[in-house]
Amino acid sequence: MAAAAAPTRAEVLSLFRSFLRTAKQFSDYNIREYTRRRAADAFRENRALGDPPAANAAFAEGKKQLEVAKRQAVVYSLYAPKAKSVMELQVQQ
Amino acid sequence: MALSRRLLPLFLRRGFPAAAAPARALSTAAAPAPAPPASASEEEDESSITVKGVRISGRPLYLDMQATTPVDPRVLDAMLPFYLSRYGNPHSRTHLYGWESDAAVEAARARVAALVGADPREIFFTSGATECNNIAVKGVARFYRDRRRHVVTTQTEHKCVLDSCRYLQQEGFEVTYLPVRADGLVDLAQLEDAIRPDTALVSVMAVNNEIGVVQPLEEIGRICREKGVPFHTDAAQALGKIPIDVGRMGIGLMSLSGHKIYGPKGVGALYLRRRPRIRVEPQMSGGGQERGIRSGTVPTPLVVGFGAACEIAAKEMDYDHRRVAALQQRLLDGIRAQVDEVVINGSMEHRYPGNLNLSFAYVEGESLLMGLKEVAVSSGSACTSASLEPSYVLRALGVEEDMAHTSIRFGMGRFTTEEEVDRAIELTVRQVKKLRDMSPLYEMAKAGIDLKSIEWSQH
Repeated sequence: MAAAAAPTRAEVLSLFRSFLRTAKQFSDYNIREYTRRRAADAFRENRALGDPPAANAAFAEGKKQLEVAKRQAVVYSLYAPKAKSVMELQVQQ
Repeated sequence: MALSRRLLPLFLRRGFPAAAAPARALSTAAAPAPAPPASASEEEDESSITVKGVRISGRPLYLDMQATTPVDPRVLDAMLPFYLSRYGNPHSRTHLYGWESDAAVEAARARVAALVGADPREIFFTSGATECNNIAVKGVARFYRDRRRHVVTTQTEHKCVLDSCRYLQQEGFEVTYLPVRADGLVDLAQLEDAIRPDTALVSVMAVNNEIGVVQPLEEIGRICREKGVPFHTDAAQALGKIPIDVGRMGIGLMSLSGHKIYGPKGVGALYLRRRPRIRVEPQMSGGGQERGIRSGTVPTPLVVGFGAACEIAAKEMDYDHRRVAALQQRLLDGIRAQVDEVVINGSMEHRYPGNLNLSFAYVEGESLLMGLKEVAVSSGSACTSASLEPSYVLRALGVEEDMAHTSIRFGMGRFTTEEEVDRAIELTVRQVKKLRDMSPLYEMAKAGIDLKSIEWSQH
């Protein structure tokens, strides 16, 4: 396999936005917050990755994790408890 | 449906207070099928939950990570295929179903082994850490019973180790229950002195479930190696949280659990050293699975989940540790800034930061816990949470009975947020202050009376 060029800035940003969108879809407060936080931290950490193979590997891993998150957001929505976390209720009062 | 899922979190964010209720109704209506009820004794609707006559406005924030941890979505994602089409028995050697399950089990075994620096052939899947502790403690003692009649352990071990030891005593073995120092750590000189020529096993847990102190595993391992005694450690609370290396720490046997590291409940693993080989007498008779150490069909989905949890833990250990340490600091600072006479139980220096066990002086423990309905915490281990007895672990540390009664264990983990910690601080402080305002003891202590000097009249 020929070594592909590193993902473009636009591709990386698009992947990051997909993560944030998917994170919001989690019905569970803690998982939703974690997905958002972990994705943001991972992208921040890998921002400096200059060398194409490393950047490619991180990008591929990100895409794989996004698929996991998308599937699990659906699973969580199927079995979401009716009552919300007290952490979400505070906003109402 | 997709629309409602996308809208729901938007409504729930700050600034849309009134809209949250209709958004919930919308999402329920749009769900493809109603989720099955969780249990009959639980009443739940959009505005409140009623369990055992206690009404709570929502699901409590969870700070009981030593009891169990939520399953990581990445773990569940790895498990689900083995609950659906890939249901083969991993021990079936004649068809694809068996082969694919077997391959998945072996991949999981390699992941567990990698996290602790072991060889995959040294990992035996069991139902959990309790079973591992039983196999290790009773199994070693029984296998070497002709020459070795003595076991060394500590007073702060988990119930299943202590109970196994008690069982061995009934069978005629002698057991030394080592005391611990006030900080919860075992005294190494005392440990060394306790080992006899006929000692079959030394069992000391890695991270304590109640107070989170980390025992000096490397030093204990070295002592055991010098004395030629197998070293067993219950690492259920340590796996994936502190680095473990069975070679460097001289560990001979080790108990591991799936559900303490964001994996499924009902699965664990026993590490059993091959060189020098340590042998145990199996407890379960049967088909000879797991090399005869633990007969019974290996539960593929659970084992796969355990393997995935270990793989994630290996990758995330540093990240999680940094976060959990920051959360611990935040919790401790937050409480100490507003409440005096708070005591940390167990060493602060040798501690897994995800566990903060605090005692609040002049407060009655049960009242404190009952007042914290919106925070899921415990006073000690889940196994003994039904009893009003103060924790035997705290008593072993020399904590006074009244202080042992007022302990709360805050357990933080991968999914805990800063906001949850802040809320826990707010609620705890409010409850402690409320109880102290009612407490004559607190008033007397504030007035400078030494409570120990009071001679209470009989009644």
